[in-house]
Amino acid sequence: MKEVYVVGIGITKFSRLEYPLIEIAAYPSIMAMKDCGLSSVDHVYVANMGGSRLSHQTALGSALVDHLSLYPAGAETIENGPASGASAIKQGYMAVASGVHDVVMVTGVERMREANSLEATDFVASLAHPLAEQIYGVTLPSMAGMFTRLYMNKYGVTSKHLAMVAIKNHDNAMFNPNAHLRMPITMEGILTGPEASTNNPFVADPLRFFDMCPVSDGGACLILATKEVAKKSKRPMIRLAGVGQATDTHCVHERENPTDLPAVRGAAEKCFKMAGFKAKDVDVAELHDAFTILEIVESEEVGFFKKGEGHLALEKGYTSLKGKLPINPSGGLKAKGHPVGATGVGQAHEIVTQLRGEAGERQVKDAKTGFTCNFGGFGNNVVALAFQKEK
Amino acid sequence: MEISILGYKCSKCGTIHYPNRAICRKCRNEQFTVEPLPDKGKLLTFTHLYNPSGDFDVAILDLAIVELSNGVRITGQMKIDKPEIGMKVVGKIEKVRKSGFQSFKGMVFYKA
Ligand SMILES: [Zn+2]
Repeated sequence: MKEVYVVGIGITKFSRLEYPLIEIAAYPSIMAMKDCGLSSVDHVYVANMGGSRLSHQTALGSALVDHLSLYPAGAETIENGPASGASAIKQGYMAVASGVHDVVMVTGVERMREANSLEATDFVASLAHPLAEQIYGVTLPSMAGMFTRLYMNKYGVTSKHLAMVAIKNHDNAMFNPNAHLRMPITMEGILTGPEASTNNPFVADPLRFFDMCPVSDGGACLILATKEVAKKSKRPMIRLAGVGQATDTHCVHERENPTDLPAVRGAAEKCFKMAGFKAKDVDVAELHDAFTILEIVESEEVGFFKKGEGHLALEKGYTSLKGKLPINPSGGLKAKGHPVGATGVGQAHEIVTQLRGEAGERQVKDAKTGFTCNFGGFGNNVVALAFQKEK
Repeated sequence: MEISILGYKCSKCGTIHYPNRAICRKCRNEQFTVEPLPDKGKLLTFTHLYNPSGDFDVAILDLAIVELSNGVRITGQMKIDKPEIGMKVVGKIEKVRKSGFQSFKGMVFYKA
């Protein structure tokens, strides 16, 4: 297999974006081409979950090739729920590693805010099992609520720990100009003060409003290439060192141990094995905190902390921007935003930015290895990526 | 006619699946027999979902995962005043959703 490098990156602000879907895909793609100085690619992968339902547009791969005049490059659209982004990166990795292509563009894009929030939630809930979950009104927040209640019961995680994740990630987003929610929040304001229950009502108890990511529009792009191309691009050499993916039962109720996320564990194990380094070697990570509980649990399942001890590491400040292992320096899905199809590419964008040393005020000092976890379904399809900076 | 929710029992290893799948996840056998799931079980976890969609004419929708007496787990709605993890529940088949002119029946759990 050939080695694969990230040569170009681009991203939009994650927010409400009043542009057509294709423009939201084009902007970060052009930015990524300019970043590495390439004006043609062999293949385009577009990651998207809801274009057909929310924007009445399919075949986004072909549409992006046309919009950027990249013909006759091949093109596909990749849909893997909220893990579409990292799935598309994995496809791009395989294309370059196999020697089939030398340069591929991977663009993630989503436009969700033209739907109202109930429609957007209902659209995401379409990934649940139609007969055994959807008919009851199960949504992703409700799955997360049921999971959280059980996790709290078993491991002693409290609402305060969840709020600490939200506060940390909102603080990080203050340093990220592309983040959706750039407002500091306090423990008093969202949990302990007299106004807390008004500011932060329950959504799917025990989860509250500030335990949920926002609904965002956004796009992000990575250009992947061979070592030869990467050297010519004169950008820092960031290798996509590992890709790993694992699946689990469609219905959450069928999980053998309902507080475990074995697909997260499996994806991370495969990813680290390929990368040749371990969880303990990671300098910076972006984890899929669509709900605050997920940052804590994923930090355990990927191997950063022991099972049931993620919240203790959080308490000690271990995962803060200045901590030993900063998690979600971008603000995470919680505060940077969650345009579903773009999220996994956005996570990778942050890690590459960190490894290049271009993250400004949120720069993790001397970061040389990075990791992302992109969580599809409620943990039934997870894609992990590992990145390494080379001299 | 009485309606029931069916479990799918692998004809080779006996594992009961809910919902159905084409191949047994334990032994890869492709033959199943169907049998009604028991209505009694214990509450594994639950949530109160605020502001559900218009298909549910309630302000707060209570959802639960229940472990049935045969060990099979099922997701359903819940109508229990003070639910607690581990409490005994009994399921009834009722209308759970109305979408336009279509309505759907499913499992609703009550205190046993
Ligand atoms: Zn079997």
